[in-house]
Order: sequence, then structure tokens, then C-alpha cells
Amino acid sequence: MRKQLPPEMLARDSRFVRTSIMDQILDPRNRKISERTIGPAKLAPGRPASADRARNLMHGIFTGEIQALEGAGRTAFDFDETEAPFALKLDMARQCWDEARHVEISIKLGEWMGTEIGEFTEATFLYEAACAPDPVLRLCGVNRALEGLAIDVFNTMKEFGDVSGDPVLEFCEDWMLADEVTHVKMGSDWLRRLTADDPERRERALDFQRTVDKLFSLGGFRGETEENPIHLARKMREMAGFSTTEIDEIAELSELARAEGQAAVEAAGSA
Amino acid sequence: MTVVSIVPELFTLIEFDAERIKEIASEVAKSLAFPSDVDVHIEVDEVLPAPLNSSQADYLGGRAELWFTGGAFEDTHKGRHIDEVLARCGLGEALLRVKDRISGGFEDAPNDSEISERQRALWDAYADGRLTRLEGFVVREPRRRYVYRLECGFNDVADAAYDQLWASDATTWADLLEIEARLMEADPTERDAKPSARRISLRQTQ
Amino acid sequence: MSDPFKPRPAFAPWDRRELPGLFDVEESARRVGAYKWIETRLFEALGGWIATVPELDVKMILGRHCYHHAWHAELFDKRLPELREMNTDRLCAPANDAMEEFVEALREPDAPELTIEKLVGVFRVLIPRKIAAYTFHLNGTSRVTDAPTERSLEFILQDEWNDWREGEMLLQSLIDTPEELERAIRRQHELEAIVVRAGGITGLGTIGATTEVEGAGV
Ligand SMILES: [Fe+2]
Ligand SMILES: [Fe+2]
Repeated sequence: MRKQLPPEMLARDSRFVRTSIMDQILDPRNRKISERTIGPAKLAPGRPASADRARNLMHGIFTGEIQALEGAGRTAFDFDETEAPFALKLDMARQCWDEARHVEISIKLGEWMGTEIGEFTEATFLYEAACAPDPVLRLCGVNRALEGLAIDVFNTMKEFGDVSGDPVLEFCEDWMLADEVTHVKMGSDWLRRLTADDPERRERALDFQRTVDKLFSLGGFRGETEENPIHLARKMREMAGFSTTEIDEIAELSELARAEGQAAVEAAGSA
Repeated sequence: MTVVSIVPELFTLIEFDAERIKEIASEVAKSLAFPSDVDVHIEVDEVLPAPLNSSQADYLGGRAELWFTGGAFEDTHKGRHIDEVLARCGLGEALLRVKDRISGGFEDAPNDSEISERQRALWDAYADGRLTRLEGFVVREPRRRYVYRLECGFNDVADAAYDQLWASDATTWADLLEIEARLMEADPTERDAKPSARRISLRQTQ
Repeated sequence: MSDPFKPRPAFAPWDRRELPGLFDVEESARRVGAYKWIETRLFEALGGWIATVPELDVKMILGRHCYHHAWHAELFDKRLPELREMNTDRLCAPANDAMEEFVEALREPDAPELTIEKLVGVFRVLIPRKIAAYTFHLNGTSRVTDAPTERSLEFILQDEWNDWREGEMLLQSLIDTPEELERAIRRQHELEAIVVRAGGITGLGTIGATTEVEGAGV
């Protein structure tokens, strides 16, 4: 089996349809929609199209879990023990089991929410972060940035389950949250251990993490106001080992990404 | 034959064909035995993508006034393109509800912009149940059930009401209000009574 | 109640554990090192394959099994220093060249159409071989002196049986046509041929046989 499997080679059955993030960015509706008042973006019953937005988000979580499973598996395989120590590989194998459970949970939750596998398209950006050639970059991009985002997403979904009185959604998100906190911690631990004597490598990894964090805050997707569909889960992030300064930094990045997204939309409109 | 008109006649942001939507609407009207002397006017808001799926169906001034977000008809695999199966179903639900308003026991129902999400969820379950029993409509029942539960509650009373509505061919607005009262008793969680996903809020510009 | 101070036999009548066992410390460590090596190569391969199989159920099962074998590797890794092997990497090695060749062949399939080949290697060749080797160790070692290894092997064998059953059922559900059956048999034959030359996962004498095998490259 080859080492380093590119995203386009991810194996899927015929139900899955791949999409590119560029299609979403270049959608001519973006500029127009930003001129609308469509009400608070936060999910809640009675809010604009909450059910379909939650179903769509849940499907995104499902495909994200598949890619997290695949990414952890590849990190266990792609490197020899000089690059990825035995104990790191064991952690990645453990993460495979956890992510496999998350895929199972997501499928059952999807069914519960009336969604079919493959009903919505799949973007592969999570796995793309798991293709970095340095395992420390993978751990920062995936475990710290993206699984940090997963904490925010699951927490938001858990709250949505709570306010809508959905016992299944709340139950499942709570369990997945517990696992993700562990995965983020794994990322932080390995970052510290593998770069203890290599500050340059550490900085490269943190830079990669910032890039991924910013990408996923695009257009105000994540933030701390009612206008952000996904909320920064400060308490859970603290449990996962993020410092207050680090969380503040992500909040700032999110705000910056929102402003840049807005500017890009306006620029595209006047071009 | 039902006269159908549509706005916009030319879509510029998405790849929808207005003529094709009119054709589908005519076919749907025919299969629902929609009164042929009632004109149908459709407005599709092409700015709003999936999953901002929403619609309204009113009977105003002797005409069926339908409004949809583009997302309501959008192919979930191919953005900005129409999914005709979805469009047929959405038009079917809307025209059935207008038919209800004309002479199906919903004559005194308020306009869609004035009814709550919960009332709407009840009515949609009633409409979709009937649609599944007709030829040519693919109703995604599990989705409908989830939308319904989200607005009406995750409990046995709500589920029983859903099954009742789904199987019914003769529910009235008064029946809906009676069911709504039952649901309130089973799940008194306060919900936003305003129909926020609708045309008025979504079409406003800043 | 009987007198608590009355001397009783140190071993209950039903405790038939005996001294000595088949393996001294050195041999037990050599075997445990080979076990750790094969479990590690296996969990890496399962991890790598997750992204290459299109079947969703197989993908998830590989994820789960990947961790099982990683845990086995971890148990063996922890046992090595207790067997006077402080450098846990030294004995973490293939038993012979043929075993190395076997693992290379086992991990070779990559394409999404080759799920049967991937699974046959694991569930019809390697796992049965592991069950045999671990059972032999369990039955042959002194259950008094090598009790910590025994305890780990008991847990591990339970996993191996369960995983084998699940994998075998997956294969039975994937093999529908004469061509698929042919692929499965051919694959099993290819890999078995190498493992026969290797003599099993700890080499010659894996399950007690002592006949020299030609070409094992020991
Ligand atoms: Fe996960
Ligand atoms: Fe995770």
C-alpha cells in the first residue's frame, strides 16, 4: 500500500458525491444573501429552516467523522517510528476506534433526523489537513484545529438538542464531545512532546493550525454571537487543554475571517 | 387548464428554468385536481440556497400565491441546479394547502405569514400524508417526521398526532388548532410563535 | 466453618498449573517481541486501509480492529521489559525474512476494488496464524512463572476470536460470485505459501513443529 494517500483517492461507495470548497466560495448568491436579513443564524426550533440546516450540518459531521477516521488511520500507517513514535501510533489507533464510533453515531443520528447517507455532498478539507507530510502538522491541523472545531460544533448541536427537546441528539452529541476533548488533548500533548527541542517545528505546526482555524471560521461560520451558526465552546476547550489566550486568539481569528469573507464577497460584487 | 405564472421569468443566479417549473406546476395541479379556474402565481427567491428551505402557499384575491426559496427546489448534489423530484413535491404540498384554503376546511386559516412554525408543521404533515397516496410524488417521510418533531415535540402525543394527520384525508383548520392545544399540554416548552423562516423575514434587504 | 489456622495445600486440587514450562525467559521474550512486531504491522495496515475501502461497514470495522491490535501491541510492549528486554525495539522484529516478506505481501493491496484481498490476508491467513501461535504459547508456557504473559494472551485471544469471526462474516458477505471466490482462494494461497515458508509468526516452531522449512531465510 502506498504511503501518503491524496484526498482524491479516498474510497467511497456510490452514494457519496464530492464537492469542492471553491464551488461554495464562488457561488454568485453569496453576495446577495449577505445583503439579506435572514434572522439569527443560531440553530433553534422556530428559527429559519432550522430542521434542514441541522440535517445538513449533521451530514457534514458524518462525512467529517469518516475523514477523521481515515486521517488517524493514515497517520498510524504513513510514518515509521522515527517520525511517529510507537506511543503516538497507539494514540492514532485509539482515535480510529473513537472516530469509527462517531461514524456509527452520525449514521444513526442522520437516520433519526430523516437524512440519508449521501443526501448532501462531501467536501474533503478535513482529510486534506491530515495529509501534511509532518505528523506534528497533522496533529495541529486535525486534532487541535479541526477537532477543536468539532468541540464547538458538537456543543452547538447539543444545545440545539436541548432547546428543541430532542433527547437523541443531545445524548449523542454529549458522548461525542467527551471523545473529542480527548483527541484535542492528544494533539496538544504530542505537539509539546515532539517539538520540545525544536521551536521552529513547533512554530510551523502552530502556523498550520492557525491557517486551518481561520479557514473554518470562513464567513463567520464560527464565533461568539447569535449571528454565528457555530459557537466557540470556551469551557469545553479549556477542558481540552486550550489556554484562555489560545481561545481568545481563535475568537479573533474567527472575527477576522468573518470580516475578510465579507470583504471578499463585496469585492466579487463590485468586480 | 390552470394558468401558471412565475417570477422571475429568467433566473440569473441559479440554473433554474422558469418554463420548466411552470410545466411541472401545471402537471401537479392536474394530478391534484386543483380547481382549473384558479390561477397559480409562483415566486422563487433565487438568492436563498439550500438548506434555507422555505415556502408559503396562500389564496389571495382568487389566486394561488406560492413562494419558495430557491433552496426548496435545489439539487443537494448539484448546487444551483433544480431537483425536479423535489420541486414536484414542494409544488404538490403548496397546491394541496391552497386547495385546503379554497374549500378543504381551511377557509378560515390565517395566511402563511401569520401562522406559527408548529401550526405549519402540523399542516405539512397532513399535506405530505395525502401526497404519498397520490401517483408521481416522492415524499421524504423521514425528513417530514423530523421537521414535525422539531416543531411539535419529541414525545408520544406528538407522534400519535403525526400518524393521525398523515393518515387523514379530511382534517380542518379547527382540527389543527385542537391538536396544537394537545401538543402544548404534552410539551409546554415555549417556542417562538413567529413564523420567522418565511417570506417576510427572508426577503428583506438590510 | 472449619478452623482458619489449619494448614491447607498451597495449590487447590483443581489448580493443575505446572513447572517448568516450555519457554525460558529468553524464548518467551523472543516470542513476545515477534508478537509485538506483527501486531504493530497489522494495526498500521488496518489504519492505512481505512481510507482505501469504499464499503462503509468495512471502513468502520477496520477502525475498530485497528485499535484492538494496537492494544495487543501495547500489552506485548509493556511485557518486554519485564522479560529483561529493556530495549523494547530490539526484539520487535520479524521472526525471519519470510515473515517480513509475508507482511509486505499482506499490506500490498491498495486499490478500492481489492477489499476481498485485504480482508483475506488478515482474517483467513494472519489472524488464524496468530490464534495458533498465542494458543501454543498459552498451552506451553509455565502458567506460574509466565503468568503475566498468559493473562495478556487470554485477553488478546478473546479479541482475536471475536475479530476473526467478524472478519470472516464480512468476507462471506462480500464473496458472491465464482470470480470473487476464486480471488479469495488465490489470495489465501499466495499468502499461506509465504507463511508456511516462515514457519508461522514466530518462525520455525511457532506451534511446536521442529521440521526445518526450506527458504525461510532464518
Ligand atoms: Fe470524531
Ligand atoms: Fe475526533
